[in-house]
Amino acid sequence: MNDSTQFDAARQARRITEQAVSWYIEQQEPLSERQRVAFLNWLRASPRHVAEYFAVAQMHGDFKAAAALKTITAEQLVEQAGRDNPVVMFPLMGPAMRKEPAPRTGRTHRALKAVAGVAAAVVMAWLGTDYWRASRGNIEQMYQGDVASVRSLTLPDGTLVQLEQGGAIHVHFDGRYRRIEVVRGNALFDVGKDAKRPMFVSVGGHVLQDIGTVFDVKRDAGGDTLTVISGRVRVLDAPASALKGMDLPLLDGVVVADLTAGQQISMGATQVGTKQPAQIAKVTAWLPSEIRFQHETIGNVARRFNAYTSKPLVIDNATIADERISGIFHANNPQAFAAYLATLPDVRVIDESDRVRVVASNQTAIKADRL
Amino acid sequence: MREKHGAWSALFAEKGATLSKYFLRRVSHRWDAQDLVQEVYLRLLRIGPDDAANIRSPEAYLFTVAANLVKEHAVLRQQQPLGSDELDQVVEQLVAPTNVEADMDSALRSERLGVLIDRLSPKCKAVLIMHYRDDMSYRDIAECMSISTNMVKKYIVKGLAACRQRMADYE
Repeated sequence: MNDSTQFDAARQARRITEQAVSWYIEQQEPLSERQRVAFLNWLRASPRHVAEYFAVAQMHGDFKAAAALKTITAEQLVEQAGRDNPVVMFPLMGPAMRKEPAPRTGRTHRALKAVAGVAAAVVMAWLGTDYWRASRGNIEQMYQGDVASVRSLTLPDGTLVQLEQGGAIHVHFDGRYRRIEVVRGNALFDVGKDAKRPMFVSVGGHVLQDIGTVFDVKRDAGGDTLTVISGRVRVLDAPASALKGMDLPLLDGVVVADLTAGQQISMGATQVGTKQPAQIAKVTAWLPSEIRFQHETIGNVARRFNAYTSKPLVIDNATIADERISGIFHANNPQAFAAYLATLPDVRVIDESDRVRVVASNQTAIKADRL
Repeated sequence: MREKHGAWSALFAEKGATLSKYFLRRVSHRWDAQDLVQEVYLRLLRIGPDDAANIRSPEAYLFTVAANLVKEHAVLRQQQPLGSDELDQVVEQLVAPTNVEADMDSALRSERLGVLIDRLSPKCKAVLIMHYRDDMSYRDIAECMSISTNMVKKYIVKGLAACRQRMADYE
Protein backbone atom coordinates (compact mmCIF):
# COMPACT_ATOMS: atom_id res chain seq x y z
CA MET A 1 0.00 0.00 0.00
CA ASN A 2 1.62 3.26 -1.01
CA ASP A 3 1.28 6.46 0.97
CA SER A 4 -1.42 8.17 -1.00
CA THR A 5 -3.71 5.14 -0.78
CA GLN A 6 -2.96 4.94 2.91
CA PHE A 7 -3.99 8.56 3.09
CA ASP A 8 -7.18 7.84 1.16
CA ALA A 9 -7.94 4.87 3.39
CA ALA A 10 -7.68 7.00 6.51
CA ARG A 11 -9.94 9.61 4.93
CA GLN A 12 -12.49 6.98 4.01
CA ALA A 13 -12.45 5.47 7.51
CA ARG A 14 -13.05 8.91 8.90
CA ARG A 15 -16.00 9.46 6.60
CA ILE A 16 -17.59 6.13 7.50
CA THR A 17 -17.23 6.95 11.20
CA GLU A 18 -18.92 10.30 10.74
CA GLN A 19 -21.77 8.73 8.80
CA ALA A 20 -22.21 6.02 11.44
CA VAL A 21 -22.28 8.61 14.23
CA SER A 22 -24.74 10.78 12.31
CA TRP A 23 -27.08 7.84 11.79
CA TYR A 24 -26.73 6.78 15.40
CA ILE A 25 -27.67 10.26 16.61
CA GLU A 26 -30.57 10.41 14.15
CA GLN A 27 -32.17 7.40 15.83
CA GLN A 28 -32.97 9.51 18.88
CA GLU A 29 -36.08 10.59 17.03
CA PRO A 30 -38.21 8.27 14.91
CA LEU A 31 -36.87 8.22 11.37
CA SER A 32 -39.00 9.37 8.49
CA GLU A 33 -39.71 6.82 5.80
CA ARG A 34 -37.16 8.42 3.53
CA GLN A 35 -34.55 8.30 6.29
CA ARG A 36 -35.34 4.66 7.03
CA VAL A 37 -34.70 3.75 3.42
CA ALA A 38 -31.53 5.83 3.36
CA PHE A 39 -30.26 4.27 6.56
CA LEU A 40 -30.94 0.74 5.38
CA ASN A 41 -29.25 1.50 2.08
CA TRP A 42 -26.28 2.89 3.92
CA LEU A 43 -25.98 -0.28 6.02
CA ARG A 44 -26.30 -2.41 2.94
CA ALA A 45 -23.66 -0.47 1.07
CA SER A 46 -20.74 -2.07 2.88
CA PRO A 47 -19.98 -4.47 5.72
CA ARG A 48 -17.64 -1.78 7.01
CA HIS A 49 -20.69 0.39 7.59
CA VAL A 50 -22.29 -2.37 9.65
CA ALA A 51 -19.12 -2.92 11.67
CA GLU A 52 -18.66 0.79 12.29
CA TYR A 53 -22.26 1.18 13.37
CA PHE A 54 -21.78 -1.52 16.01
CA ALA A 55 -18.56 0.13 17.11
CA VAL A 56 -20.23 3.51 17.47
CA ALA A 57 -23.10 1.94 19.43
CA GLN A 58 -20.56 0.40 21.78
CA MET A 59 -18.61 3.60 22.24
CA HIS A 60 -21.78 5.56 22.81
CA GLY A 61 -22.61 3.23 25.72
CA ASP A 62 -19.25 4.02 27.31
CA PHE A 63 -19.50 7.71 26.63
CA LYS A 64 -21.90 8.52 29.43
CA ALA A 65 -19.65 6.77 31.93
CA ALA A 66 -16.65 8.66 30.57
CA ALA A 67 -18.42 12.01 30.74
CA ALA A 68 -19.64 11.26 34.27
CA LEU A 69 -16.03 11.09 35.45
CA LYS A 70 -15.46 14.73 34.50
CA THR A 71 -15.53 17.06 37.46
CA ILE A 72 -15.35 20.35 35.58
CA THR A 73 -18.48 22.48 36.09
CA ALA A 74 -20.78 23.54 33.29
CA GLU A 75 -19.83 27.17 33.96
CA GLN A 76 -16.15 26.39 33.55
CA LEU A 77 -16.89 24.53 30.34
CA VAL A 78 -18.78 27.48 28.92
CA GLU A 79 -16.00 29.84 29.97
CA GLN A 80 -13.31 27.71 28.35
CA ALA A 81 -15.36 27.41 25.20
CA GLY A 82 -15.83 31.18 25.11
CA ARG A 83 -12.13 31.83 25.42
CA ASP A 84 -11.60 29.55 22.46
CA ASN A 85 -13.25 32.10 20.23
CA PRO A 86 -10.92 34.57 18.58
CA VAL A 87 -12.31 38.05 18.42
CA VAL A 88 -12.03 40.81 15.90
CA MET A 89 -12.84 44.09 17.51
CA PHE A 90 -14.14 47.06 15.68
CA PRO A 91 -13.72 49.96 15.26
CA LEU A 92 -10.48 51.78 16.11
CA MET A 93 -9.23 51.18 19.58
CA GLY A 94 -6.05 53.18 19.22
CA PRO A 95 -3.28 53.24 21.77
CA ALA A 96 -5.63 52.96 24.75
CA MET A 97 -5.08 49.25 25.06
CA ARG A 98 -1.53 49.57 26.24
CA LYS A 99 -1.55 49.79 30.00
CA GLU A 100 -4.80 48.16 31.04
CA PRO A 101 -4.65 45.01 33.14
CA ALA A 102 -6.18 41.92 31.61
CA PRO A 103 -9.56 41.69 33.30
CA ARG A 104 -10.78 38.56 31.61
CA THR A 105 -10.12 36.00 34.27
CA GLY A 106 -11.06 38.37 36.99
CA ARG A 107 -10.91 38.49 40.76
CA THR A 108 -8.90 36.13 42.89
CA HIS A 109 -7.21 34.20 40.15
CA ARG A 110 -5.46 37.19 38.73
CA ALA A 111 -2.62 37.33 41.23
CA LEU A 112 -2.14 33.59 40.99
CA LYS A 113 -2.08 33.79 37.24
CA ALA A 114 0.52 36.51 37.36
CA VAL A 115 2.73 34.32 39.51
CA ALA A 116 2.14 31.39 37.20
CA GLY A 117 3.00 33.62 34.26
CA VAL A 118 6.31 34.64 35.78
CA ALA A 119 7.09 31.04 36.65
CA ALA A 120 6.27 30.00 33.10
CA ALA A 121 8.46 32.77 31.75
CA VAL A 122 11.38 31.57 33.84
CA VAL A 123 10.87 27.98 32.79
CA MET A 124 10.57 28.97 29.15
CA ALA A 125 13.70 31.11 29.32
CA TRP A 126 15.46 28.10 30.71
CA LEU A 127 14.12 25.84 27.96
CA GLY A 128 15.34 28.26 25.31
CA THR A 129 13.54 30.83 23.28
CA ASP A 130 13.09 28.96 20.05
CA TYR A 131 10.54 26.62 21.56
CA TRP A 132 7.84 28.27 19.49
CA ARG A 133 4.72 27.32 21.39
CA ALA A 134 5.54 29.17 24.53
CA SER A 135 8.55 31.43 24.24
CA ARG A 136 7.91 34.84 25.67
CA GLY A 137 10.25 37.39 24.15
CA ASN A 138 9.32 41.04 24.43
CA ILE A 139 9.84 43.04 21.31
CA GLU A 140 9.25 46.48 19.85
CA GLN A 141 10.12 46.65 16.20
CA MET A 142 9.05 47.69 12.72
CA TYR A 143 9.34 45.08 9.97
CA GLN A 144 9.41 46.04 6.29
CA GLY A 145 8.73 43.64 3.45
CA ASP A 146 11.65 42.69 1.21
CA VAL A 147 11.98 44.34 -2.19
CA ALA A 148 12.30 41.18 -4.23
CA SER A 149 10.10 38.58 -2.57
CA VAL A 150 7.67 37.78 0.20
CA ARG A 151 9.36 37.95 3.57
CA SER A 152 8.83 35.25 6.18
CA LEU A 153 9.19 36.24 9.81
CA THR A 154 9.08 34.16 12.93
CA LEU A 155 8.27 36.28 15.98
CA PRO A 156 9.51 35.30 19.45
CA ASP A 157 6.12 33.87 20.44
CA GLY A 158 6.14 31.53 17.46
CA THR A 159 3.81 33.62 15.33
CA LEU A 160 4.64 33.25 11.65
CA VAL A 161 4.15 36.28 9.44
CA GLN A 162 4.34 36.42 5.67
CA LEU A 163 4.84 39.97 4.54
CA GLU A 164 4.23 41.18 1.02
CA GLN A 165 6.81 43.19 -0.93
CA GLY A 166 6.42 46.76 0.25
CA GLY A 167 4.31 45.72 3.21
CA ALA A 168 5.04 46.83 6.75
CA ILE A 169 4.03 45.76 10.24
CA HIS A 170 4.81 47.16 13.63
CA VAL A 171 5.27 44.59 16.36
CA HIS A 172 4.97 45.36 20.03
CA PHE A 173 5.04 42.50 22.52
CA ASP A 174 5.16 43.11 26.23
CA GLY A 175 4.45 40.95 29.25
CA ARG A 176 0.72 41.39 28.92
CA TYR A 177 -0.25 41.67 25.29
CA ARG A 178 1.06 40.90 21.87
CA ARG A 179 0.18 43.69 19.46
CA ILE A 180 0.83 43.96 15.76
CA GLU A 181 -0.23 46.82 13.56
CA VAL A 182 -0.53 46.20 9.86
CA VAL A 183 0.78 49.50 8.51
CA ARG A 184 0.45 48.71 4.83
CA GLY A 185 0.21 45.92 2.29
CA ASN A 186 -0.78 42.31 2.60
CA ALA A 187 0.16 40.19 5.57
CA LEU A 188 -0.67 36.69 6.57
CA PHE A 189 -0.58 35.57 10.19
CA ASP A 190 -0.33 32.17 11.75
CA VAL A 191 -0.66 33.14 15.36
CA GLY A 192 1.48 31.35 17.92
CA LYS A 193 -0.27 30.10 21.04
CA ASP A 194 0.22 32.07 24.22
CA ALA A 195 -2.94 31.96 26.30
CA LYS A 196 -1.54 34.38 28.87
CA ARG A 197 -0.79 37.14 26.37
CA PRO A 198 -3.63 37.76 23.94
CA MET A 199 -2.72 38.80 20.43
CA PHE A 200 -4.24 41.92 18.91
CA VAL A 201 -3.75 42.80 15.31
CA SER A 202 -4.93 46.25 14.35
CA VAL A 203 -5.81 47.02 10.77
CA GLY A 204 -6.79 50.60 10.12
CA GLY A 205 -9.97 51.08 12.06
CA HIS A 206 -10.26 47.48 13.15
CA VAL A 207 -8.69 45.35 15.77
CA LEU A 208 -8.48 41.66 15.61
CA GLN A 209 -7.89 39.38 18.49
CA ASP A 210 -6.83 35.93 17.69
CA ILE A 211 -5.81 32.69 19.31
CA GLY A 212 -4.30 30.07 17.10
CA THR A 213 -5.81 30.70 13.73
CA VAL A 214 -4.41 31.57 10.32
CA PHE A 215 -5.74 34.64 8.59
CA ASP A 216 -4.87 37.06 5.86
CA VAL A 217 -5.17 40.82 6.18
CA LYS A 218 -5.08 43.05 3.13
CA ARG A 219 -4.80 46.80 3.49
CA ASP A 220 -6.05 48.70 0.52
CA ALA A 221 -7.17 52.21 -0.27
CA GLY A 222 -10.61 50.81 -1.09
CA GLY A 223 -10.96 49.17 2.32
CA ASP A 224 -9.38 46.37 4.27
CA THR A 225 -10.09 42.70 3.81
CA LEU A 226 -9.90 39.93 6.35
CA THR A 227 -9.81 36.31 5.20
CA VAL A 228 -9.80 33.42 7.63
CA ILE A 229 -7.73 30.56 6.27
CA SER A 230 -8.25 28.22 9.19
CA GLY A 231 -9.80 28.49 12.62
CA ARG A 232 -12.49 30.94 13.53
CA VAL A 233 -12.72 34.66 13.99
CA ARG A 234 -15.45 36.81 15.45
CA VAL A 235 -15.93 40.37 14.30
CA LEU A 236 -17.42 42.60 16.92
CA ASP A 237 -18.66 46.14 16.90
CA ALA A 238 -17.29 47.29 20.21
CA PRO A 239 -17.87 50.54 22.07
CA ALA A 240 -14.67 52.49 22.65
CA SER A 241 -15.07 52.09 26.42
CA ALA A 242 -15.03 48.31 26.17
CA LEU A 243 -12.00 48.42 23.92
CA LYS A 244 -10.23 50.67 26.33
CA GLY A 245 -10.48 48.18 29.13
CA MET A 246 -9.88 45.18 26.90
CA ASP A 247 -12.81 43.71 28.73
CA LEU A 248 -13.76 40.99 26.32
CA PRO A 249 -16.90 39.82 28.11
CA LEU A 250 -18.28 43.33 27.67
CA LEU A 251 -18.08 42.85 23.94
CA ASP A 252 -20.75 40.18 24.00
CA GLY A 253 -23.88 40.97 22.10
CA VAL A 254 -22.34 43.20 19.47
CA VAL A 255 -21.28 40.47 17.10
CA VAL A 256 -21.05 41.75 13.58
CA ALA A 257 -20.07 38.48 11.98
CA ASP A 258 -18.62 35.09 12.74
CA LEU A 259 -16.06 33.99 10.26
CA THR A 260 -14.92 30.42 9.89
CA ALA A 261 -12.24 28.92 7.71
CA GLY A 262 -12.63 29.95 4.09
CA GLN A 263 -14.69 33.07 4.73
CA GLN A 264 -13.89 36.64 3.94
CA ILE A 265 -15.18 40.01 4.99
CA SER A 266 -14.44 43.55 3.91
CA MET A 267 -13.96 46.13 6.62
CA GLY A 268 -14.64 49.75 5.80
CA ALA A 269 -13.96 52.66 8.08
CA THR A 270 -17.42 52.62 9.63
CA GLN A 271 -18.98 49.31 8.72
CA VAL A 272 -18.15 45.78 7.76
CA GLY A 273 -19.48 44.08 4.64
CA THR A 274 -21.27 40.77 4.54
CA LYS A 275 -19.17 37.68 4.92
CA GLN A 276 -18.71 35.59 1.85
CA PRO A 277 -16.85 32.47 0.81
CA ALA A 278 -13.27 33.27 -0.11
CA GLN A 279 -11.20 31.69 -2.82
CA ILE A 280 -8.22 30.80 -0.69
CA ALA A 281 -6.03 30.27 -3.74
CA LYS A 282 -6.79 33.79 -4.92
CA VAL A 283 -6.32 35.35 -1.49
CA THR A 284 -2.95 33.68 -1.07
CA ALA A 285 -1.84 34.24 -4.68
CA TRP A 286 0.64 36.85 -3.47
CA LEU A 287 2.46 34.21 -1.44
CA PRO A 288 5.28 32.27 -3.08
CA SER A 289 4.12 29.23 -5.05
CA GLU A 290 6.87 27.11 -3.60
CA ILE A 291 7.80 26.40 -0.05
CA ARG A 292 11.55 25.97 0.28
CA PHE A 293 13.13 25.05 3.53
CA GLN A 294 16.59 24.14 4.62
CA HIS A 295 17.12 22.30 7.87
CA GLU A 296 13.80 23.63 9.18
CA THR A 297 11.70 21.95 11.87
CA ILE A 298 8.72 19.93 10.62
CA GLY A 299 6.48 21.96 12.92
CA ASN A 300 7.43 25.21 11.22
CA VAL A 301 7.20 23.80 7.70
CA ALA A 302 3.72 22.48 8.45
CA ARG A 303 2.66 25.92 9.58
CA ARG A 304 3.93 27.45 6.37
CA PHE A 305 1.70 25.08 4.42
CA ASN A 306 -1.18 26.05 6.69
CA ALA A 307 -1.15 29.52 5.20
CA TYR A 308 -2.53 28.03 2.00
CA THR A 309 -5.22 25.68 3.19
CA SER A 310 -8.37 25.62 5.26
CA LYS A 311 -7.51 22.09 6.36
CA PRO A 312 -4.42 22.59 8.49
CA LEU A 313 -1.66 20.11 9.13
CA VAL A 314 -1.37 19.54 12.87
CA ILE A 315 1.84 17.95 14.14
CA ASP A 316 0.60 16.22 17.27
CA ASN A 317 3.92 15.02 18.53
CA ALA A 318 6.69 17.25 19.88
CA THR A 319 9.50 14.96 18.76
CA ILE A 320 8.28 14.94 15.17
CA ALA A 321 7.60 18.68 15.23
CA ASP A 322 11.19 19.38 16.28
CA GLU A 323 12.76 17.16 13.66
CA ARG A 324 14.61 19.11 10.96
CA ILE A 325 14.19 18.52 7.26
CA SER A 326 15.04 20.21 3.94
CA GLY A 327 13.13 20.33 0.69
CA ILE A 328 11.02 22.17 -1.85
CA PHE A 329 7.29 21.64 -2.22
CA HIS A 330 4.47 23.22 -4.18
CA ALA A 331 2.77 25.41 -1.63
CA ASN A 332 -0.73 24.57 -2.84
CA ASN A 333 -0.18 20.86 -2.37
CA PRO A 334 -0.02 20.15 1.36
CA GLN A 335 -1.13 16.58 0.58
CA ALA A 336 2.24 15.96 -1.03
CA PHE A 337 3.97 17.16 2.11
CA ALA A 338 1.71 15.01 4.30
CA ALA A 339 2.45 12.02 2.07
CA TYR A 340 6.15 12.79 2.43
CA LEU A 341 5.81 12.91 6.23
CA ALA A 342 4.09 9.54 6.16
CA THR A 343 7.24 8.06 4.61
CA LEU A 344 9.33 9.07 7.63
CA PRO A 345 9.98 6.31 10.13
CA ASP A 346 7.47 6.09 12.99
CA VAL A 347 5.22 8.81 11.55
CA ARG A 348 1.53 8.30 10.90
CA VAL A 349 -0.73 10.72 9.04
CA ILE A 350 -4.41 10.79 9.93
CA ASP A 351 -6.78 12.64 7.64
CA GLU A 352 -9.68 14.14 9.56
CA SER A 353 -12.55 16.21 8.25
CA ASP A 354 -11.15 19.57 9.34
CA ARG A 355 -7.44 18.87 9.69
CA VAL A 356 -4.66 16.47 8.89
CA ARG A 357 -3.06 15.11 12.02
CA VAL A 358 0.52 13.84 12.13
CA VAL A 359 1.31 11.54 15.04
CA ALA A 360 3.98 9.04 16.00
CA SER A 361 3.02 5.52 15.00
CA ASN A 362 3.74 4.32 18.52
CA GLN A 363 1.93 7.26 20.12
CA THR A 364 -1.29 5.45 20.93
CA ALA A 365 0.58 2.43 22.26
CA ILE A 366 2.48 4.61 24.70
CA LYS A 367 -0.71 6.23 25.87
CA ALA A 368 -2.37 2.88 26.33
CA ASP A 369 0.47 1.83 28.59
CA ARG A 370 0.09 4.88 30.70
CA LEU A 371 -3.60 4.42 31.27
CA MET B 1 -41.75 -10.54 15.07
CA ARG B 2 -42.31 -7.02 13.96
CA GLU B 3 -44.07 -5.87 17.13
CA LYS B 4 -40.91 -6.78 18.98
CA HIS B 5 -38.99 -4.12 17.10
CA GLY B 6 -40.37 -1.23 19.09
CA ALA B 7 -39.22 -2.77 22.33
CA TRP B 8 -35.89 -3.72 20.85
CA SER B 9 -35.34 -0.27 19.57
CA ALA B 10 -35.78 1.20 23.03
CA LEU B 11 -33.65 -1.51 24.55
CA PHE B 12 -30.79 -0.99 22.18
CA ALA B 13 -30.90 2.74 22.43
CA GLU B 14 -30.04 2.09 26.04
CA LYS B 15 -28.07 -1.09 25.81
CA GLY B 16 -26.28 -0.82 22.49
CA ALA B 17 -22.93 -1.01 24.20
CA THR B 18 -23.87 -4.00 26.24
CA LEU B 19 -24.90 -5.78 23.10
CA SER B 20 -21.56 -5.25 21.45
CA LYS B 21 -19.79 -6.27 24.60
CA TYR B 22 -22.00 -9.33 24.67
CA PHE B 23 -21.13 -9.85 21.05
CA LEU B 24 -17.43 -9.86 21.69
CA ARG B 25 -17.76 -11.90 24.87
CA ARG B 26 -19.83 -14.60 23.28
CA VAL B 27 -17.35 -15.20 20.52
CA SER B 28 -13.90 -16.38 21.38
CA HIS B 29 -11.82 -13.88 19.44
CA ARG B 30 -12.09 -10.87 17.20
CA TRP B 31 -12.01 -12.78 13.98
CA ASP B 32 -15.32 -14.36 14.92
CA ALA B 33 -16.80 -10.95 15.59
CA GLN B 34 -15.75 -9.87 12.11
CA ASP B 35 -17.34 -12.99 10.65
CA LEU B 36 -20.52 -12.09 12.46
CA VAL B 37 -20.51 -8.58 11.04
CA GLN B 38 -20.05 -10.10 7.61
CA GLU B 39 -22.97 -12.43 8.20
CA VAL B 40 -25.17 -9.61 9.48
CA TYR B 41 -24.30 -7.71 6.35
CA LEU B 42 -25.19 -10.61 4.06
CA ARG B 43 -28.56 -10.97 5.76
CA LEU B 44 -29.23 -7.29 5.25
CA LEU B 45 -28.45 -7.73 1.56
CA ARG B 46 -30.95 -10.58 1.34
CA ILE B 47 -33.87 -8.39 2.40
CA GLY B 48 -36.22 -8.07 -0.56
CA PRO B 49 -37.44 -4.63 -1.63
CA ASP B 50 -40.97 -5.27 -0.31
CA ASP B 51 -39.70 -6.40 3.08
CA ALA B 52 -37.32 -3.46 3.26
CA ALA B 53 -40.24 -1.06 2.95
CA ASN B 54 -41.94 -2.82 5.89
CA ILE B 55 -39.08 -2.54 8.32
CA ARG B 56 -40.20 0.09 10.76
CA SER B 57 -36.88 0.44 12.52
CA PRO B 58 -33.85 -0.61 10.54
CA GLU B 59 -31.71 -0.17 13.62
CA ALA B 60 -33.78 -2.57 15.70
CA TYR B 61 -33.78 -4.94 12.76
CA LEU B 62 -30.01 -4.72 12.58
CA PHE B 63 -29.54 -5.55 16.23
CA THR B 64 -32.15 -8.30 16.14
CA VAL B 65 -30.41 -9.98 13.25
CA ALA B 66 -27.14 -9.64 15.14
CA ALA B 67 -28.55 -11.09 18.36
CA ASN B 68 -30.06 -14.03 16.51
CA LEU B 69 -26.77 -14.71 14.81
CA VAL B 70 -24.97 -14.66 18.13
CA LYS B 71 -27.37 -17.28 19.36
CA GLU B 72 -26.93 -19.44 16.26
CA HIS B 73 -23.22 -19.05 16.56
CA ALA B 74 -23.25 -20.17 20.18
CA VAL B 75 -25.20 -23.27 19.23
CA LEU B 76 -22.85 -24.03 16.35
CA ARG B 77 -19.83 -23.76 18.60
CA GLN B 78 -21.59 -25.90 21.18
CA GLN B 79 -21.02 -23.28 23.78
CA GLN B 80 -23.34 -22.91 26.66
CA PRO B 81 -26.76 -22.61 25.10
CA LEU B 82 -28.83 -19.56 25.87
CA GLY B 83 -31.79 -21.57 27.06
CA SER B 84 -34.89 -21.06 24.98
CA ASP B 85 -35.13 -19.10 21.76
CA GLU B 86 -37.13 -16.41 23.46
CA LEU B 87 -35.78 -12.93 22.97
CA ASP B 88 -36.58 -12.24 26.60
CA GLN B 89 -33.83 -14.58 27.62
CA VAL B 90 -31.35 -12.63 25.55
CA VAL B 91 -32.66 -9.43 27.00
CA GLU B 92 -31.97 -10.69 30.48
CA GLN B 93 -28.45 -11.60 29.51
CA LEU B 94 -27.96 -8.18 28.08
CA VAL B 95 -29.33 -6.29 31.03
CA ALA B 96 -27.50 -8.31 33.67
CA PRO B 97 -24.02 -8.95 32.38
CA THR B 98 -22.12 -11.20 34.75
CA ASN B 99 -18.77 -11.30 33.07
CA VAL B 100 -16.38 -9.33 35.26
CA GLU B 101 -13.76 -9.09 32.55
CA ALA B 102 -16.16 -7.38 30.21
CA ASP B 103 -16.99 -4.82 32.87
CA MET B 104 -13.35 -4.08 33.42
CA ASP B 105 -12.94 -3.53 29.71
CA SER B 106 -15.74 -1.04 29.92
CA ALA B 107 -14.02 0.85 32.75
CA LEU B 108 -10.80 0.98 30.76
CA ARG B 109 -12.62 2.16 27.67
CA SER B 110 -14.34 4.90 29.65
CA GLU B 111 -11.01 6.02 31.02
CA ARG B 112 -9.50 6.19 27.55
CA LEU B 113 -12.53 8.01 26.29
CA GLY B 114 -12.12 10.48 29.15
CA VAL B 115 -8.61 11.28 27.93
CA LEU B 116 -9.87 11.72 24.37
CA ILE B 117 -12.68 14.02 25.49
CA ASP B 118 -10.11 16.34 27.05
CA ARG B 119 -8.34 16.62 23.72
CA LEU B 120 -11.40 17.87 21.86
CA SER B 121 -11.80 21.57 21.18
CA PRO B 122 -13.20 23.40 24.23
CA LYS B 123 -16.58 23.93 22.51
CA CYS B 124 -16.92 20.34 21.44
CA LYS B 125 -15.92 19.13 24.88
CA ALA B 126 -18.37 21.49 26.61
CA VAL B 127 -21.28 20.34 24.45
CA LEU B 128 -20.55 16.65 24.92
CA ILE B 129 -20.10 16.81 28.68
CA MET B 130 -23.22 18.90 29.16
CA HIS B 131 -25.21 16.45 27.09
CA TYR B 132 -23.86 13.14 28.36
CA ARG B 133 -23.05 14.01 31.96
CA ASP B 134 -25.64 16.66 32.79
CA ASP B 135 -28.38 15.27 30.52
CA MET B 136 -28.96 18.72 29.06
CA SER B 137 -31.10 18.94 25.94
CA TYR B 138 -29.67 20.35 22.71
CA ARG B 139 -31.81 23.41 23.21
CA ASP B 140 -30.56 24.08 26.75
CA ILE B 141 -26.97 23.61 25.66
CA ALA B 142 -27.53 25.95 22.72
CA GLU B 143 -28.82 28.62 25.06
CA CYS B 144 -25.96 28.13 27.50
CA MET B 145 -23.32 28.36 24.78
CA SER B 146 -25.00 31.03 22.65
CA ILE B 147 -25.00 28.82 19.58
CA SER B 148 -27.80 27.25 17.53
CA THR B 149 -29.26 23.83 18.37
CA ASN B 150 -28.10 22.75 14.94
CA MET B 151 -24.53 23.60 15.91
CA VAL B 152 -24.95 21.64 19.15
CA LYS B 153 -25.88 18.59 17.13
CA LYS B 154 -22.93 19.15 14.83
CA TYR B 155 -20.54 19.37 17.76
CA ILE B 156 -21.95 16.13 19.17
CA VAL B 157 -21.53 14.28 15.90
CA LYS B 158 -18.09 15.76 15.37
CA GLY B 159 -16.95 14.98 18.91
CA LEU B 160 -18.26 11.42 18.93
CA ALA B 161 -16.71 10.76 15.53
CA ALA B 162 -13.35 12.14 16.65
CA CYS B 163 -13.43 9.98 19.79
CA ARG B 164 -14.47 6.90 17.86
CA GLN B 165 -11.65 7.40 15.34
CA ARG B 166 -9.12 7.71 18.11
CA MET B 167 -10.56 4.77 20.02
CA ALA B 168 -10.09 2.78 16.80
CA ASP B 169 -6.38 3.58 17.12
CA TYR B 170 -6.36 1.58 20.34
CA GLU B 171 -7.84 -1.51 18.69
